[in-house]
Amino acid sequence: MAKTILIVDDSGSLRTVVNLSLTRAGYQVVEAGDGQEALERLKKLDKVHLIVSDVNMPRMDGITFLKQVKADPRTKFTPVVMLTTENQAEKMEQGRAAGAKAWIVKPFSPPTLVDAVSKLVLP
Amino acid sequence: MVVSARRLLSVFHTGAGPWIASAIGTASLGALLAAGLRDAVIWACVAAAAASLAMGVRTLLRGRPQADAGAAGSVSPGEGAALAERLVTARDLWTTHLGTAQREMREATDELLGAFAAILQQLDAITAGDATSGRADGAALEDRAAVLARCETDLRGLLVHFGEFVRSRDEVLRDVQGLEDASSGLREMAEDVDKLARQTNLLSINAAIEAARAGPSGRGFAVVAGEVRRLSAESGDTGRRIGDTVRRFGERMHGALQQAAARGAADEQAIRQSESTNTAVVGEVEGAVGGLQQRADDLRARGEAVRLQVEQLMVSFQFQDRVHQILDQVVASIDEALRTLPDALARGHVPPQSEWAEMLSKGYTTHEQRSAHGSAGGATAAAPGTAAVFF
Repeated sequence: MAKTILIVDDSGSLRTVVNLSLTRAGYQVVEAGDGQEALERLKKLDKVHLIVSDVNMPRMDGITFLKQVKADPRTKFTPVVMLTTENQAEKMEQGRAAGAKAWIVKPFSPPTLVDAVSKLVLP
Repeated sequence: MVVSARRLLSVFHTGAGPWIASAIGTASLGALLAAGLRDAVIWACVAAAAASLAMGVRTLLRGRPQADAGAAGSVSPGEGAALAERLVTARDLWTTHLGTAQREMREATDELLGAFAAILQQLDAITAGDATSGRADGAALEDRAAVLARCETDLRGLLVHFGEFVRSRDEVLRDVQGLEDASSGLREMAEDVDKLARQTNLLSINAAIEAARAGPSGRGFAVVAGEVRRLSAESGDTGRRIGDTVRRFGERMHGALQQAAARGAADEQAIRQSESTNTAVVGEVEGAVGGLQQRADDLRARGEAVRLQVEQLMVSFQFQDRVHQILDQVVASIDEALRTLPDALARGHVPPQSEWAEMLSKGYTTHEQRSAHGSAGGATAAAPGTAAVFF
């Protein structure tokens, strides 16, 4: 059975590229447009094996979303990969401190993303 | 309350430079990347909005030549309020135009990406179909060779069966040939029977003559001699009939053997021709299958090339996300700047350079924005497009 990946990004085009990259690698993908929507999705999903999240998003940014995910007993062990245009060490440190497992700077290459996901995805 | 327009506008000019350059650079980037695309007009719209923004600011900055020309140029509070009102009008217009351009660009990009995704899925389906029917190229070639070899073996098997049938028929013919020889023997035996009958008849005539010479005492013997003569005559007739039958049988047998011999030669030739045809057919089928395989390989290679190009194109579309982030920040920055300036104009307060620069850089997310501002804006830990950083 295909593992489920939640993509959180306010850019529809980015979600399309990420979705296609992961779907073609054999994953089942669920999308959300911001952190708030992603939290609502997580409540309804049975199990998410990994989350790919942007940082700068409306309503709820990626770092806040990450903290919420790590604070929830249901999702605190779900690995989170941050996929963002942010490449500042300070932001990356915020992500690491909040519990992110990896940081990829956009524009990304699909093999880089798929490789990171395959290394971190829950069994 | 009077404020030095030259000072205030110089601060604005200095601070506005980065986001004007950023906006123009962004629009140019968009226009370049979109070159050749159907929706280039949308990108032109972005470029036009950014150019309008830059031109408007420059016009405002140069709108008071007396202020720029004179060392002591100044504006009254009323003029300051009017200038602030112009700036607010300009802000509303610029942000509206930028918003329109962004929305249309987003919609067009999403539409294009959706179409590319559909193309990729179609290509994947074709590749998957090839994979299940033909599997890998090497395996497909092996399959083809195996099928052809099996066909050739089956065809040759048919010919072998036919050859065995011909050999079996030849054996029967040889047996029939033996029967023809035997019929010759029977004919000779029939002639012998006829010969014996003639001799017996001659013997019975002699016996009848001797019985007549013996007189009444030989009367019984004469009866026996007569019976013998009658039997020899019947034996002679039977021998002749046997001879005739054997002769007719031999003639028919001979005719059949001649026909069989002629047919056997034709069969031999048919087998040789069939073997030759078999080889030619297998060769032609192999050639045709090879051609089809070659074309399939060619199509698969072309499909793969198209797939890679579409994939690359889709990856390139990530620029759209960066463009939006830059433009969002520009809009927010314009809004923030033009909320600050009227108050500054009213109070005659010139925002400090560092405070102004910090306000304009608020919300930067990309390396390009920080570079355009002329400051690295902090240490970078990863470059775009490189491998993931694992924590």
